[in-house]
Amino acid sequence: MSGNALEVRQLEVRYGPVRAAIKIDLDVAPGSVTTLLGANGAGKTSTVMAVAGARRIAGGSVSIFGKDMTGASAEDIVRAGVAIAPEGRRIFGSLSVEENLRLAGSVLEDAQLAGEKSAAMMQRFPVLGERRRQLAGLLSGGEQQMLAVARALMSQPRLLLMDEPSLGLAPQMVDQIFAIIEELRQEGISILLVEQNAALALDVADHAVVLANGEVAAAGAPADLKNDSLLHAAYLAA
Amino acid sequence: MELFIQQTVNAISLGGVYAMLALGLAIVFSIVRLINFAHGEIMTFGAYGIFLALAFGLPPAAALLFGLAAAVVMALAMERTAFRAMRGADVVSLLITSFAVSEILKVLFQNGISPRPVPITFPPAWSGAYEVGGITIGVVPTVSIMVTFTALMGLSFILRRTVAGMAMRAAAEDIEMLRLLGIRANRVVAVSFALSGLLAGIAAVIWTAQRGSVDPLMGFFPVLKAFIATVLGGLGSLGGAVLGGFVVGMLEVLAQAFLPDSLAPYRDAIVLAAVIAALLMRPDGLLPAASAHRS
Amino acid sequence: MKLKSMLLAAVGVAALSTAAMAEEYVIGVMSAQSGYLAPYDGPAYAGFQFCIDEMNAKGGLNGKHKVRTIVKDTRSDIAEGVKVVQEMLDGGAKFIVSSADADPTIAAAQITAADGVPTMTFAGTAPVLTQVGPHVFGSYPADNQQGAVLAAYARDEGFKQAWLVKSPDSAYTNGGPEYFGKAFEALGGKVLGESLYTLNQPDFSAIVTKIKAADPAPDVIVTWAWEPDFPALIKALRGAGVKTQVMGGDVMDTPTVRGLGEVVAGSVHTSGGFPDEGSAYADFIKRFEAKTGTTPDNNYYVNGCDIAHMIEQAVAAAGSTDPKAVSAAMANIENGKGVMSNFTFKGTDRMPLREVVVARISADGKKEFVRRAIADPATLPKP
Repeated sequence: MSGNALEVRQLEVRYGPVRAAIKIDLDVAPGSVTTLLGANGAGKTSTVMAVAGARRIAGGSVSIFGKDMTGASAEDIVRAGVAIAPEGRRIFGSLSVEENLRLAGSVLEDAQLAGEKSAAMMQRFPVLGERRRQLAGLLSGGEQQMLAVARALMSQPRLLLMDEPSLGLAPQMVDQIFAIIEELRQEGISILLVEQNAALALDVADHAVVLANGEVAAAGAPADLKNDSLLHAAYLAA
Repeated sequence: MELFIQQTVNAISLGGVYAMLALGLAIVFSIVRLINFAHGEIMTFGAYGIFLALAFGLPPAAALLFGLAAAVVMALAMERTAFRAMRGADVVSLLITSFAVSEILKVLFQNGISPRPVPITFPPAWSGAYEVGGITIGVVPTVSIMVTFTALMGLSFILRRTVAGMAMRAAAEDIEMLRLLGIRANRVVAVSFALSGLLAGIAAVIWTAQRGSVDPLMGFFPVLKAFIATVLGGLGSLGGAVLGGFVVGMLEVLAQAFLPDSLAPYRDAIVLAAVIAALLMRPDGLLPAASAHRS
Repeated sequence: MKLKSMLLAAVGVAALSTAAMAEEYVIGVMSAQSGYLAPYDGPAYAGFQFCIDEMNAKGGLNGKHKVRTIVKDTRSDIAEGVKVVQEMLDGGAKFIVSSADADPTIAAAQITAADGVPTMTFAGTAPVLTQVGPHVFGSYPADNQQGAVLAAYARDEGFKQAWLVKSPDSAYTNGGPEYFGKAFEALGGKVLGESLYTLNQPDFSAIVTKIKAADPAPDVIVTWAWEPDFPALIKALRGAGVKTQVMGGDVMDTPTVRGLGEVVAGSVHTSGGFPDEGSAYADFIKRFEAKTGTTPDNNYYVNGCDIAHMIEQAVAAAGSTDPKAVSAAMANIENGKGVMSNFTFKGTDRMPLREVVVARISADGKKEFVRRAIADPATLPKP
């Protein structure tokens, strides 16, 4: 067995003396969705960014598809099959929609494949196809989120990290995003989903972890956590 | 009228050199927030490359290519040895690092080559003048204008149409995100340095063709002007750097050409006053960088 | 004020005690190892030290006064220069040889004025520099002498209309063409116009375009521009098709300028000396080469050596190494014997009257002797 898509053990992330993530354990089983819940400042983004290789890991380990990737660079983690649609989307606003996708596809090192992927993305997200020549900075928030997801998918990841994909979106857009998450899971992509919208996240997830003040406050099956008053206490406390 | 046309050619020619240097500064600044004051030494090194190649008997055209290569190598070496270690440091630390690099290189040129200017002699056919409609125009300014525009168009093509160019534009916005897409940031930064080095090399070729000598301090003044040009154009804005370069160069030549001699000592002051006035009206520069930066 | 007088007292005591301890004559030398003066201070110091060493091998100045030099780097920085001069005085220096330009020499002379320590510039040629006081000396033929000799040559060759290219940024680049202009007009020539540039000016095309459009056109263009400005100017001139004769000061007397090829061919410049075969100058070059392996390819080397001779002759005439006596004796030297040329301080403003050579750059980049002359003190343009 090659193990879980993602196994995080005793992870620590620090900003100077401040500990943003403390001894975090977290798994994403292959082809499943794990959701990471918690209030603002609970350590969710720090954890995800550490997994993606964009924050220094102060302690613990990260293994991806059975391979130890603790402390690896973001570039190498992408090559291990991970992609991220980060918090705030972070699309390149001065590049066109198409250029955003083409740039992300450049890691495939097969121009033809990258072209096909790009075309496939524009079919999957028709709004992106319609606006392919527009500067990405001019898209609406929901469209930018679509682009962020499409861009992440360009490198053909097996594990997708999604950080607050529904933040600031209109309700129909939120529904669309969650529909996409469901689709991706069906396609066999493992997903780590960070969300503040606990109700929606728990609906789609196979497994949930709740953070509070940088530590794991609770973990388990979504159904169990959903009715747990402790979850709400931890979630609302911080 | 003839005088005006000739001075305009002069102005565009000088502006073009400033524009290329300013663009080189802006490319690097937009990506790594480095105001590279050692950019002048990249140019100087390129000129020494031409000198050495000629001294070793290379034909002039080959010597020019050698000079361009020398400038690119110097830019890459600078990035690898000095600036990569400082990646992510604040703007002031980077600026001071670049001053240090600049000083070290100047002393090396002086002690390793010569404190005096050394001559660079191109075939006489490369200078000279030609006539169009009764107006005599120099070959060197004309060629330098053509080379400048070709270089600027080439660079514009690279930035707009190639993946490397897209990566550079994206890096200017959010270099961490670029890494999160799996794109090697070090490579993108190195490419940006190489391009800025190439532009400095082209500027060195034009500069030495016009001036006939290279000395350890050669690059300092043009890069100072180019820096003013990048600020005028909008720090970090590539289009602004090019525009600023042309504006500064043209102001300089036109001030020299058409101000009375009694005002000559104030020429630089007048040019700088014009730049400051422009910045008071447009504090972010003539063409500000498009997107706000995340810090 | 108190501090200053205490400092001076300390310096005086230090100087006395040094003099008492040994019969050695301490000469302080400002020599810029970097910056714009390095190309001049370096060779000048090498030539000076070479001849001092030769003298020391024979027992010192006049076979009596062993010389010890204190050499300090100024980085071409005036403030640094002032500092090192003070240090050299503190170290017992009784003679200061200052950097090869008027401005640092004037600054140094203000420090040495208190004790009247004679101060001689390596190669500063602006006649104004000696106006600081009776202890300040030039060594190289001054700009007004060079300008006058060059103007006389230009008139003899039939040139009538001159255009001056000068920079107000330094006494040298501004003064040379002005002296030329005065002497040229005194001899019946006419200055049609002038262009001003700034040192290290990036681009000379605007100036060249202006000269080209001048009507009537000049038949000689005169500049004291140094490198890298001179190469830039001449390239721009020839590049624009202006073939007018160019004449200039002794800064054109460098391998770099001669290496510029066709654009400088035929240009005429002044020079402090010319190593004719069999001359003392030629012999100096041979000895210097033999000892150091370096070929003195400019006049700063031999002029440095001549400074040693000037000091030796002044000390001999003074009969002591007392600073004031040496200054007075120096100012009185008449037709003193030098290697580059002889020198006369008597009757001058302590800028020695010396021969000036006019030379031409040949098509193959060689220096050709044209004439040798001494400026007529009667018609010498006043500083």
